[in-house]
Amino acid sequence: MNRLVCPFCGARELEEFLFHKTLPEAGASEYSAVYERTNRLDDSLEHWQHVHGCRAWLEVRRNPSSGDVLEIRMIGGGRN
Amino acid sequence: MSAASPRYSAWSLLRARLAGEGFWQPLWSGARLKDGYDVVVVGAGGHGLATAYHLARDHGIKRVAVLEKRLVGYGNVGRNTTIVRSNYLLPENHYFYEDSLRRWERLSRDLNYNVMYSPRGVLDLALSDGEMIGLARRGNAMRLAGIDAELLDRPGVMKFAPELAAAGPRRFDIVGGLLQPRGGTVRHDAVAWGYARAASALGVDIIEDCEVQGVRTAAGVATGVETTRGFVGAGRIVFAVAGHTGAVGRMLGLNLPVETHLLQAMVTEPIKPLIGSVLIYVPPHGEVYVTQSDRGGVVMGGFLDGFPSYTREGQWYRLEDVVGAAVALLPQIASLRILRHWAGTNDMTMDGSFIIDRLRHDNVFLNGGWCYGGFKAIPASGAACATFVATGTAPDLIRAHNLGRFASGHLLDERGGGPFPVRQ
Ligand SMILES: Cc1cc2nc3c(=O)[nH]c(=O)nc-3n(C[C@H](O)[C@H](O)[C@H](O)COP(=O)(O)OP(=O)(O)OC[C@H]3O[C@@H](n4cnc5c(N)ncnc54)[C@H](O)[C@@H]3O)c2cc1C
Ligand SMILES: [Zn+2]
Repeated sequence: MNRLVCPFCGARELEEFLFHKTLPEAGASEYSAVYERTNRLDDSLEHWQHVHGCRAWLEVRRNPSSGDVLEIRMIGGGRN
Repeated sequence: MSAASPRYSAWSLLRARLAGEGFWQPLWSGARLKDGYDVVVVGAGGHGLATAYHLARDHGIKRVAVLEKRLVGYGNVGRNTTIVRSNYLLPENHYFYEDSLRRWERLSRDLNYNVMYSPRGVLDLALSDGEMIGLARRGNAMRLAGIDAELLDRPGVMKFAPELAAAGPRRFDIVGGLLQPRGGTVRHDAVAWGYARAASALGVDIIEDCEVQGVRTAAGVATGVETTRGFVGAGRIVFAVAGHTGAVGRMLGLNLPVETHLLQAMVTEPIKPLIGSVLIYVPPHGEVYVTQSDRGGVVMGGFLDGFPSYTREGQWYRLEDVVGAAVALLPQIASLRILRHWAGTNDMTMDGSFIIDRLRHDNVFLNGGWCYGGFKAIPASGAACATFVATGTAPDLIRAHNLGRFASGHLLDERGGGPFPVRQ
């Protein structure tokens, strides 16, 4: 994984993006949402920001074992 | 099964010389997996091996196995930058790490194996007056606990580390530093091998190529582990799997307060002695901790790569940051070539401190959450974790490092960074 495809800017070097946090499972308690992680080996849902590009906030679904990006979209809509 | 490794001494070296072939034996014997054990330790990294060693040595528990999915020392114990220190701010952390440092000082003798503890000094450099205040605070906290710490002004830094004085003006210049003279380095592979050899000599079975995939339970207690080599019964189970701690939670149906991130290290071609201590330099454009290995290579590491990963593929931009900071600190090394670089998976916690506690069942224990700093903890963790597992009560040294602290609000947040594993 060396690049992310921003829905607005296209494929860009990974260092243009900033990982913010991993998202909790649906229905997680407030405690769990802050402090716990599912730690799945094949699926991680995350918030990133294209800080050195268009600055859009992105929801990224990745496979953390292979590095493959499974889905990427703007938070709150704008599916690519 | 081969003969046990002989006891090492100056005399044994002489005997080895005369005996020619046949004196040297494998460090741990090729044990065969049994049906069941009193304690099964999962993971033959530093923490798993040290825990098994202390279970056998201090508590007389003889039926102990260490199950390792790959090889002894394949994980972070063989991938780290080998720095040991106890210069932590929080009492819960500095007393623990100081216990570890005192054990490092005598570990070669205890294990009868040279782990090459080198108290060359660990020097945190300050680049502003504000940072000096932070270092003074940390140094004072250490001194109150009886730990060695010296606050150095700029001339003091240049006297201690003359290699820094040789360089011209820096954009982010050095104001002073905090030195822990007893901090230093330890040969990481020797730690894994030394503990494996000593544990094996006490009758611990070290089983490589055996991955634990699940925990079998009956009536609310664990009865053993499911492995790639079949079921193994266990009276008690200790997970010490570092970067795979999150996966243990999944085996037990728990979400744990950990997230796995990559950390890289790199080493240059060997040069003559230049860097006499461990130097830590954090300019705005990166972070580097740099040492020189006994073979002469300049060893460097820095920040985490920055996002969850199990790939062990380091990102190029982080390598650039680390090397950039190293060259800003020591322009003399700018023309050296990097020989190797690698990454390891780190089980980052939500407060940056480790966890040793029971996990879901009374007889299942977690030794994990070592973040990027668990190498230095190995001797203290092995002793304390073994006591916990053998007696059922957590010793004072690790009582604060329980799993419940995240819910109760008693976080051990050294950096005050909040619940973001990537920022610890
Ligand atoms: C690049 C880098 C630099 C570092 N620098 C330092 C430093 O300078 N100082 C310091 O104090 N710390 C440092 N660390 C951190 C330190 O290396 C780790 O915190 C520590 O080694 C982790 O504990 P361990 O030795 O038990 O882990 P490991 O050696 O990773 O042991 C865990 C073992 O568990 C095995 N395992 C995993 N899952 C299973 C399973 N399901 N079944 C069976 N076996 C399993 C793995 O194969 C592995 O061998 C660094 C880490 C990295 C990556
Ligand atoms: Zn963009």
